[in-house]
Amino acid sequence: MDKVLYVAMTGARENMFAQQVHANNLANATTSGFKADLEQARSMRVIGEGIPSRVYSMSERPATNTESGTLIQTGRPLDVAVQGNDWVAVRASDGSERYARGGELTLDVNGQLLMPNGTPVLGNGGAPINIPPAEQITIANDGSITIRPLGSPANELVVIDQIKMVSGQSGQLWKGEDGLMRTDDLAPLPASQNSQLRSGYIESSNVNAVAELTSMISLSRQFEMQVKIMKSADENAQTASRILQMS
Amino acid sequence: MHGALHVATTGMSAQDTNLKVISNNLANVSTVGFKKDRAVFEDLLYQTRRQPGAESGADSQLPSGLQTGVGVRTVATQKMFEVGDIQVTDESFDVAITGAGFIQVALPDGNIAYTRNGQLGIDGENRLVTAEGFLVEPAITLPSEVTSFTISNNGTVTVTTAAGGPEAPQQIGVLELANFVNAQGLQPIGQNLFTESAASGAPTNAIPGTDGTGFLKQGALETSNVNAVEELVNMIQTQRAYEINSKVISTADQMLQYVNQNL
Repeated sequence: MDKVLYVAMTGARENMFAQQVHANNLANATTSGFKADLEQARSMRVIGEGIPSRVYSMSERPATNTESGTLIQTGRPLDVAVQGNDWVAVRASDGSERYARGGELTLDVNGQLLMPNGTPVLGNGGAPINIPPAEQITIANDGSITIRPLGSPANELVVIDQIKMVSGQSGQLWKGEDGLMRTDDLAPLPASQNSQLRSGYIESSNVNAVAELTSMISLSRQFEMQVKIMKSADENAQTASRILQMS
Repeated sequence: MHGALHVATTGMSAQDTNLKVISNNLANVSTVGFKKDRAVFEDLLYQTRRQPGAESGADSQLPSGLQTGVGVRTVATQKMFEVGDIQVTDESFDVAITGAGFIQVALPDGNIAYTRNGQLGIDGENRLVTAEGFLVEPAITLPSEVTSFTISNNGTVTVTTAAGGPEAPQQIGVLELANFVNAQGLQPIGQNLFTESAASGAPTNAIPGTDGTGFLKQGALETSNVNAVEELVNMIQTQRAYEINSKVISTADQMLQYVNQNL
């Protein structure tokens, strides 16, 4: 039988993978600080013995769209949104430094500053930030955290630490399997002094629902074309076997 | 069968949770001392289908791999403890807290719960109770035939009685407030009450006005901190996100249907 069937089959399979990338973007259309994944297809010839006559398609995620989302005002002092293309440093469960876009930060019982999923936020020294009991916590635009300690008057403010922010150059940061950004070799990036964040805001997801839905429609039609080719391959084979039938 | 189906399912159930949170906030838009909730989402995890940099043949490598995300997850619902507006009622058994503290309440089972709802009252035995009838902790019992009842800014409860007359006020107790390191970690149990949890830490009791608990304001109540406009905007967003995810499911379904009909 003609090998066109297999070429069409991989095309359909790769379309389904690509659909999943778009479905994941749409599922995270309201996840704060989420960055949409890009998806593209590449033609990949089979390398090996024989005539290189078959070129298969291959879906891949070349990069993540790091465009900023919109800032949503919440008024909560521990909600932070980073401006521009910069990132907040957090410590992943394996101890290495990863990067996120900030979000709805919380404190644990010991006063450690955490992402909502429990990942510690890092200070400029590269260590997790601990906030002593405070009447009021203020995060400035440069990430420095000022508190009014419990029971002290309003004129005795203490600067505790500064949230570590880095500016990732294009192509330097990749989205890891935990959804956090990372460098290739997991080496920490130097803290950037020019980075700015806004407290009292969270950043919306940067997923463009219209673009994602359009890609889904286009992919599903492409998928139907692949199936059509599979059907033609089937019909060709049927016709061929009819010719050879003795009747 | 089709990865996008399961991914979109997580999206729909996340929006479902979000709508539940929003509707609960809106239902409590006029509940005294209510603190709004917020659902927090994060992307689930990513599957590496093709590793970037993997060998694709002799002397060639894939420049970028394929990592597909598997959807969204509701990480937490966060209570937002911003102080609501203070509404003056001029009712002498109403108190509002102007800072971060909580009134302590003795539950019938002997445990202590915490509330921001200052709609107090007295029960049949002249004890100070919450609107639900639970005793305020530390317990404060009023003498009989009270003619005036005053709670000062720093929690001192003073009464005058018919027998003693207006020139003999009696101090009958202090309404102490509790404060937490991480109030967001408190566990809401309904009835406007919270209980201590491992995340909130142990309470520290203080006289109102000290240690960041805030002063008491008699004759006023703290309104719900729900902002109806904000919730309605969130509701619109939630509904549209839900619809988009259901669109993904129907697209995936049509793709599979097409295969079944044509092959």
